[in-house]
Amino acid sequence: MTTEPVVGNPARPTGPPEFPVGPSELQALIDNTNAVIYMRDLDGRYMVVNHEYERLFHMRREEMIGLTDYDLFSTEIADEFRANDLRAVSSGGPVNVEEEAPGADGPHTYITVKFPLLDSAGKAYAVCGISTDITARKRTEEQVRRLNAELEQRVQELEASTRELDAFAYSVSHDLRAPLRSVHGFSQILLEDYDGKLDDDGRQCLQRIQSNVTRMGQLIDDLLRLSHVTRTGLKRELVDIGAQAHEIFDELRRAEPGRRVETVIADALVTTGDRLLIRLALENLLANAWKFTGKNDQAAICVGAVGPSDSQVFFVRDNGAGFDMRYAEKLFNPFQRLHPVSEFEGTGIGLAIVQRILSRHGGRIWAESEPGKGCTFFFTLTDIPDPRDGHA
Amino acid sequence: MHSKQILLVEDNPDDVMFTLRAFKQSNLVNEIVVAVDGEQALKILLPESAQRTVQPALVLLDLKLPKIDGLEVLRRIRADPRTESLPVVVLTTSSEEADIVRSYQLGANSFVRKPVVFSEFLHATSVLGSYWLLLNQAAP
Repeated sequence: MTTEPVVGNPARPTGPPEFPVGPSELQALIDNTNAVIYMRDLDGRYMVVNHEYERLFHMRREEMIGLTDYDLFSTEIADEFRANDLRAVSSGGPVNVEEEAPGADGPHTYITVKFPLLDSAGKAYAVCGISTDITARKRTEEQVRRLNAELEQRVQELEASTRELDAFAYSVSHDLRAPLRSVHGFSQILLEDYDGKLDDDGRQCLQRIQSNVTRMGQLIDDLLRLSHVTRTGLKRELVDIGAQAHEIFDELRRAEPGRRVETVIADALVTTGDRLLIRLALENLLANAWKFTGKNDQAAICVGAVGPSDSQVFFVRDNGAGFDMRYAEKLFNPFQRLHPVSEFEGTGIGLAIVQRILSRHGGRIWAESEPGKGCTFFFTLTDIPDPRDGHA
Repeated sequence: MHSKQILLVEDNPDDVMFTLRAFKQSNLVNEIVVAVDGEQALKILLPESAQRTVQPALVLLDLKLPKIDGLEVLRRIRADPRTESLPVVVLTTSSEEADIVRSYQLGANSFVRKPVVFSEFLHATSVLGSYWLLLNQAAP
């Protein structure tokens, strides 16, 4: 803060003004506002108008004095203005009203305060009005209303297409599975009833038909699961990722008691989201890590998080088969596989499901890997900046 | 003792054939009466006048049926005093959540999805037959 005296700022006069404030000063005062200001007598005849009034209605004040609103506006508008004037008179104090008057570009809306001038006996002898143009605000409000209505329309369209998708998923489930059952069943009948007439090659063909049909059945089910993840409602609750990971590892161990896998789960892995969907995402990620470390004698899977608690990036790291980063973007496409089925089983839907779950939460998933050196899946459940962007 | 009858409500002839085969392979010798749509099923179960000629101990009910769908058949079965406690197992291709919920709301005793793999289908049929026809004690 400066202590030097301020130059060019003369001391403020302390006494009364040296000049009287008269009608022309007051007129100057009201002429320099963009509010519309006027005074009318009890018969509605104009006594005073300001410059803004003249400008808006293209009249000089000399012409206006003595006229009423009935000379200037339609009867309907003049009636309304008159009624508002009389309300102010009868209330004895200021009233706030919204009024509409024609403008160059269509009707304008004003928010107006009207108040009576009272004589010493408290009797009104004139009405003053100060009108502020709120047309821009009104039009913005109207636009917001229109946009909301459009949005509502879009939501309804979206809901309709979701219902269509539902019907489609239903029909896929029913109509595609039924013929598959027939193909599988009749192959079985051939295998059982015509065994004597088939040689080994014939039997093998039928078995391959059956295994393909089985696989197609799985693909249809996976597709339905994926669509279910997209359609199901989303809750926001506190979710303990660490506890879920413990449970999932326990289940994986029970399913394959022969496997020795070192699992590490960091402390305090808590987030907000849909408990069931997050559990499903985690199940897929951990089952993947479990599967792709299957050929490693010293398999290890680690679940953890980096970053501050409000923008945590969770990760699942394994020392399994890994993959070539050139294909990293493809990982999350439905039915995309980076390993032959003969090496690792699966339909390729798991990571697509995980990605949908995370993106429904506003989060993201990405992976880092090298073939033979394991891989790490990073994921977020909120919309936080991609840490990779900083290095790009 | 007269062996218990089963009413199979199924419009897909392949599925009818597989179900009959599965019952045979499971050594369930019960007579299976087939209705190929909902209307036929109701005519058999709830004839308007005469005595019922078929009195099944179990109904295997598909949902997607011509004319009257499976859920409507189920609703009318439960609404009639003659069949209100008849065991009805929904045996269908759908595993749509809404179908499962609705079936139980309407009083289905069980909901089973037909597996694609025949050996699993056989297993399901065999379990259903032995449970509902042998083990389960039906309402008198």
